[in-house]
Amino acid sequence: MNALEARQEKPLPVLRVEAVCKSFGGIQALNDVTFDVPAGSIFSLIGPNGAGKTTLLNLVTGSFPADSGQVVFRETMLNGRKAHERVALGIARTFQNIELFGSMSVLENVLVGRHVKTRCGFLGAMARLPRTIGEEREARSRAMELLDFVGLRDAASQRSTDLPFGWQRFLEIARALATGPRILLLDEPASGLNAVETSSLAELLEKIRKSGVTLLLVEHDMSLVMKVSDRVLVLNHGMKLAEGTPCEVQANEAVIAAYLGRDKAGPRC
Amino acid sequence: MRYLFFIAAVLAAGFLTSSPYKLQLLTFIGINTLLALGLNMLMGYTGQISLGHAAFYGLGAYTSGVLTVHYHWSPWLGLAAAIVLAVAAAFFIALPLLQLSGFYLGMGTLGFGMIMFVVFRQMSLTGGDSGLVGIPGLFIGPLSLDSPRNYLFFVWAVAIISIFLCERLIHSRIGRALRAIHDSERAASSMGIDTGKLKVHIFVLSAVLAAVAGFLYAHLVSFISPSSFDFLVSVRMVTMVVIGGMASIWGSLLGAAVLTVLPETLTVFSEYEMIVYGLVLIVIMILLPQGLFRGVLDIYERAGSKAGKASARSQG
Ligand SMILES: Nc1ncnc2c1ncn2[C@@H]1O[C@H](COP(=O)(O)OP(=O)(O)OP(=O)(O)O)[C@@H](O)[C@H]1O
Ligand SMILES: [Mg+2]
Repeated sequence: MNALEARQEKPLPVLRVEAVCKSFGGIQALNDVTFDVPAGSIFSLIGPNGAGKTTLLNLVTGSFPADSGQVVFRETMLNGRKAHERVALGIARTFQNIELFGSMSVLENVLVGRHVKTRCGFLGAMARLPRTIGEEREARSRAMELLDFVGLRDAASQRSTDLPFGWQRFLEIARALATGPRILLLDEPASGLNAVETSSLAELLEKIRKSGVTLLLVEHDMSLVMKVSDRVLVLNHGMKLAEGTPCEVQANEAVIAAYLGRDKAGPRC
Repeated sequence: MRYLFFIAAVLAAGFLTSSPYKLQLLTFIGINTLLALGLNMLMGYTGQISLGHAAFYGLGAYTSGVLTVHYHWSPWLGLAAAIVLAVAAAFFIALPLLQLSGFYLGMGTLGFGMIMFVVFRQMSLTGGDSGLVGIPGLFIGPLSLDSPRNYLFFVWAVAIISIFLCERLIHSRIGRALRAIHDSERAASSMGIDTGKLKVHIFVLSAVLAAVAGFLYAHLVSFISPSSFDFLVSVRMVTMVVIGGMASIWGSLLGAAVLTVLPETLTVFSEYEMIVYGLVLIVIMILLPQGLFRGVLDIYERAGSKAGKASARSQG
C-alpha cells in the first residue's frame, strides 16, 4: 500500500485523546479513554446518562484538567492550556444546557464569537480608530453571514433568550462557528428539538462539515447519530465500550446490551 | 447629538445658578457621576461586585492631597501619582480577588475597603482622624478653577468625557466581552475571552475613575478626613448604581444626582442614611431589578403598549 492510499484510508486526526482519566471525588467519570477524530469527519460520542460524554468535551475544551492522559490538537499538546487559548487554536463548543448571553441580541451573541478574530482593546475601543471601525464592520458582516447560514438572519435583532428553544440551539452553533473553529464540539444539539428542527439540524451538520469543520458530536438521538456520523464511539461508565462505523456499533452485542437495546439494534447494514 | 444637549444643559445650569452652594451641589453630582460610572462598568456590565470602592476614591483624594500639602507637588502631578497608585493597588488586589466570585468577591473588596480606611486614619501623613487641611485649588495654566462655577465646568468636562469614552467602550468588542462575562462566564471563555484578565482590567478602570473623582473632591473641598471614604460611602456608590440601573451609563448620572441631592435636602435622610440605602437596595432589587430609571420606563412602555397593540417588550 503506498502512502497516498494509506492517507485516504485513514486521514490525519485533528484531535487525539490519549488514555485520559478523570474522577470527581469517588466517581470515575472517565477511565483510560483513547480515540482519534479524523479531520473532516463527523465523529459521534454516545452512551447512557452519566457515561462521561460531557466530561470528555470539558477536558478537550479545558474547563478542567485531566487527572492523567493527554489531548493533542493538530500536533499541539493541550495539557495546561487555558480554555480561552484553546478557542484561539480552533476548538469551539456548544453546551448541553444552552448558555446564551441573555442580555444580548441574537446578532450580538454571534459578535461575541468574533472575539478571537478581532483585536481592539480598551484604548482602541475608546479612540475608535479607523482600524477598529473596519474590524467591527467586518465582524458584523461575518456574523450576519453565519446567522444566514443557520437560518436566523431575520431574528438578528431579537433578544437571544426570547427565541424559541430550538432556534436557541442553532444560535449557539452560529456563535461557536464565529470563532472560526477547525473542530466544533456539540453537546446534545438535538435535545429539545422537534422532528422538523432535528432534520434541519442534520442538514446543518452536513453543511458545517462541508465547510471544512470537523465535528465531535455528543447525542442521544440515535437516528440522527446513525445518519450523519462517519464514526461512533460508545462510552459506558467512563470507559470506551466500542468504536467503529455506525453499522459496526449498531451491531455490537456489548453496545446493544449496555445502551441501545434490542429494538434499536443494527437493522440493515 | 445627545452629548450636545448634555453639554448645553451643563452650561445652562452653570450660568443660571448663582448661589455658590447650589453650584457646589451640582459639582458634587459630577464627582459622584464619575464614581457611579466606574462602579457600573464593573458591577452593572461585568457583574462583579465591589463593596470597597471608597478605598480608591480615598486613595485618589489622599495621594494628591498629601503630595500637594506636604511635598508641594503640582496638583496635576498629584493626579498622575493618584492614577498610578490606583492602578497599582487595583492590580494588586484584583489578581487574587477576582478569582473569587459573587459573595466572596463582595467580602474581599469589603475587607480591602476597611484596610484602606484604617490606613487613612492611622498614617501621620494623612493627618489621621482630624484629616488633611489646606489642599490647594486647581489652576489650568493661568486660569484659576477656584470659582465654584469654573470648578463645576471642569468637573463636568471630566465627567462628560468619561461617559463618552465608557459608552464607546461598551459598544465595542471589549464591551461585549464584559457583558458576556456578566451573562455566563463559562460561555464567555468558550468564546475565547480571557475572562480573568478582562475582569482585572475593568476593575482597574473603575478604580481609576474613582481615584480621579477623589482627586476632584479633594481639591474642591480642600479638607479631607477618613469619614468621607468609609464603608457607608462604598454602599452609597453601590446604591447609586442600583438606582440608576445596572448596565446603564446614563442611569449612573441619575443615581448620582438622586443620592447627592437627597441627603442635602432631607435632613432625616442623613441621620438614617445607612438604613435608607439598605431599604432602597432591597426594594429596587425586588420590584425593579433593572433599576429605578429603566424600571419606570418599562412600566411606562408597558402601559403604552397595552393601550396600543400587544407588542413585544423592547430590549433594554
Ligand atoms: N463538574 C463535576 N463535578 C462533579 N461530578 C461531575 C462533574 N461533571 C460530571 N460529573 C459526574 O461525572 C459523571 C459523568 O458525567 P457527564 O456529565 O460527563 O455524563 P454524560 O455522559 O454527559 O451524561 P448525560 O447524557 O446525562 O449528559 C456523572 O456521574 C456526573 O455526576
Ligand atoms: Mg452530558
